[in-house]
Amino acid sequence: MKALILFIIALCSFTLFSQNAKKVQFVGGARSILSNASFQTQGEEDTITSRKSNGGYALIDLGFKINPNASTEILGMVRIKNDLGGFWGSNVAFDVRQIYVRGVAGRIFRYQIGNIDYKLTPYTFYNHNADMILNGTGVLKMKEDILNYESFYSKNNTWRQQGAAIDFGLSFPKVVRDIKFNGFITRLNPSNLSNIFERFFGGGNMIVNQSKYLTFGINHASVFDLKGTATALNPYKNGVSSVTYDVKFDQGNWRIGLKGENGMSNAGYADDTTRLEDFFANTQLYVKLKKLNLDVAAGYMNNGADFRSVGAQSKRINYNQTNNFFDRYTNGQIQRGLSVYDLYNDPLLYSSSISTGIMSYDPSVNNALPYGTASFNRKGIYSTLHYADSLNKVSANLSYYNLSEVRGQGTLSLKKFNYIKTDVKVDLGKIFNMKRDLAVEIGGSYQLTKRTSEIAFEQVSLTSGALSISAEFELVDKLYLLANVYHFESKGNDLIPVRNTKDEIINFSNFSADRFENYYAGGLKFQFNEDIYLSAFYETNWNNGNGLNPYKLNQFMIIYNMKF
Amino acid sequence: MKKSLVLLIIAIPLLFSCRKKEGDKYDGPSLNDVYGSFSVITPLSADKDSVDFAAGQTLVFSAALSKIAEWTITITGQSSGAVKRIEGTSSIIDASVATWIGNTSDFPMFKEEVCDVKLSFTGETDTLTTTVKIINPKLNPGFLVSDFETGMNPGWSTFIQSGADMDFQIKTDATAAQGNSYYNMAGTVDWDWLIGYLYFPASAYGAPQYPLASNPDNVYFNLLIYGEPGMVNTLLLFQFQEDEDGNGGFSGSSEDMYSLEIPVNWAGWKMVSIKYSDIPCLVNGQPSAPSGNGQHNPDKLQQINMLDLANPISGNAKTKVDYIIFTENAPLNP
Repeated sequence: MKALILFIIALCSFTLFSQNAKKVQFVGGARSILSNASFQTQGEEDTITSRKSNGGYALIDLGFKINPNASTEILGMVRIKNDLGGFWGSNVAFDVRQIYVRGVAGRIFRYQIGNIDYKLTPYTFYNHNADMILNGTGVLKMKEDILNYESFYSKNNTWRQQGAAIDFGLSFPKVVRDIKFNGFITRLNPSNLSNIFERFFGGGNMIVNQSKYLTFGINHASVFDLKGTATALNPYKNGVSSVTYDVKFDQGNWRIGLKGENGMSNAGYADDTTRLEDFFANTQLYVKLKKLNLDVAAGYMNNGADFRSVGAQSKRINYNQTNNFFDRYTNGQIQRGLSVYDLYNDPLLYSSSISTGIMSYDPSVNNALPYGTASFNRKGIYSTLHYADSLNKVSANLSYYNLSEVRGQGTLSLKKFNYIKTDVKVDLGKIFNMKRDLAVEIGGSYQLTKRTSEIAFEQVSLTSGALSISAEFELVDKLYLLANVYHFESKGNDLIPVRNTKDEIINFSNFSADRFENYYAGGLKFQFNEDIYLSAFYETNWNNGNGLNPYKLNQFMIIYNMKF
Repeated sequence: MKKSLVLLIIAIPLLFSCRKKEGDKYDGPSLNDVYGSFSVITPLSADKDSVDFAAGQTLVFSAALSKIAEWTITITGQSSGAVKRIEGTSSIIDASVATWIGNTSDFPMFKEEVCDVKLSFTGETDTLTTTVKIINPKLNPGFLVSDFETGMNPGWSTFIQSGADMDFQIKTDATAAQGNSYYNMAGTVDWDWLIGYLYFPASAYGAPQYPLASNPDNVYFNLLIYGEPGMVNTLLLFQFQEDEDGNGGFSGSSEDMYSLEIPVNWAGWKMVSIKYSDIPCLVNGQPSAPSGNGQHNPDKLQQINMLDLANPISGNAKTKVDYIIFTENAPLNP
């Protein structure tokens, strides 16, 4: 309560300050969601599960961006959240959402202390989005934006950390154009003064821009326990070092280049008899055909079986968790597994911090690259294609991976992975010179995991496919019609490693999939301006419950969202 | 410049793409061990038909299985009923996991006898059997206070209260934990804690002190005690009297006496083993300061007193002891 009073006093003070000196800005956002959901167990009698669920919340993220001088910025953001039906003081949460100080010291060093959104390279420190396979527009786009905002995920694939970062650059008249230095240190967890050490994550890189032909960098990221902060004797350390490079020739209408990242890692506890050490290599040859607006690349990757990078292999979702939304059903009250629909619907499933251990994954969703490009124990070739015309009427992406394991799991036979993904975005409004917007996006993905063997129990065959069609059509000025169709299917089997606390494989569990999921959504959105919208839509998700316990989930939602 | 860049383009991927061969190893347990079918490839066998453990011989069992399995080798003495179990998890059973030195898991200890050997597997119905003969049982290094096989030592002193059903004597029958004899202590005394005692002075073995090492951390006192099923009254008290001044006697006011209380509250034979330095000094059952130099001196041990006690409210006690032995560096491996 005292904190609330102080906050209000501070709010008034800052407001006066901003009016006089204009050194204070209000930033943040507000959102209100109302939901009415219904659940139907199909194919089996269910007299226990609640049929309906109503919920929602209103929240405001209020931040004060203070510029005490030209080279310093202070941001403090608080969140007030009130669950639906929780007025009069109950179910009200009051949190600090973001706080940092940043600026420029001596006109040379840029620094940021507090909450920092940071990344280095795809193999050292990077927030891969390995589970949301397909992009779309319409309802799914709104939901994805919300969960990205809630978990501090940015388009730049950064992780939100607490710590400090600094960067500076040097320019040279000869030999090299400039060199940029970046460094960071963050705290992953505090000590409990017993068996848990104070754990830090730090690193940095040096990017040398030698000329228009060559750019290369040296990168390092390390997770380490601080000795002496606990009585335990087995501190953990994971170090990843890499070299990045981009060599290119630009000849007017085309550009050709070679870029990639190669490096090595080590990981383990102090009392481990052998530390995991391995290397990774990812190199791609790319061509840009400027007249055709086409980018084509072909590459080779080889990520060792023992390659470990905490900063790049942490997943956004831990698949060991249970659902928060209709978590159990049927008269047996079995747990409802995470579906693709849940990945879009529930921001609480996502983690905003990185994890030291190997996180579990869903082989149906992404078996080829469960930890993104930084997935360990993968090697093979890949190619990508990107097209976007200058007016953004049509854009298309296509990627294909032909991979295999580097080292077998439980057998010398290797799993092979084929993964193709595409999406095409067409702005029909621009193509046909319509006065209104009409955007259509179609995406599809297919994965095949195969391990052939003469021994039956070693054989693996798992396929997954997803198809997304989405559209936004401007009916009248600023009023959009939204439509989404999403289909997901997975069939087959795999053997999934079971790991101990040191991530060593101790067993294998049978994974069997016979999944089928359909999602349909339709609604309206009124876009007040770029930062504010009000939307109402209805969605239905039919899930076959892995061939055993099908169910249907319907939801009507109203979302008001604004940023300021 | 262009030539350098071309070389760089070729060199960078080559530099980091050379990997050591991984084709001959895999992560985790073999899938065959997890999901493969179980079968016995090589049946159970022992490397000898007869073994002389007293001469330092060992017996090695071997077998080969189609997958890793939890297995148990159970060796049972046909005449003693002694049982030795060797357990493991592997697909190959050999000297590294199945070597028997003649010791026992369940008392009594093995004798000169024929033993049945059985190899069984958790979750599998297969059972393999063989037999082996023990020519001489295992000898345990250490100083044997008594195994009661040769009767009462005339140097010992004994006292028995005049209670009811008093039975303090060496008995010879098939229930002995080692050999054929043990010392039986039984009776009812409802006016005193003491039922009876048996003292083992060092002089009974022809020396003023027990021939033990001086480091109390290296000396272990071991014995086998039988708990009568359904009776938890018996309290065995061992007193270790040290002759610190070397005058051939013990003075309770100026020399150390350490005491070990053992409530006999289990059923059947059990080995009790304690490091000499861990034996406390007790007065009336409570920890107390020693009267002498306060140091455990096993090499100055002059007498061991074994007292059979029982709460006079109930008054009755019944137990057996066998194979009292000091060992060095480790507890007895019977």
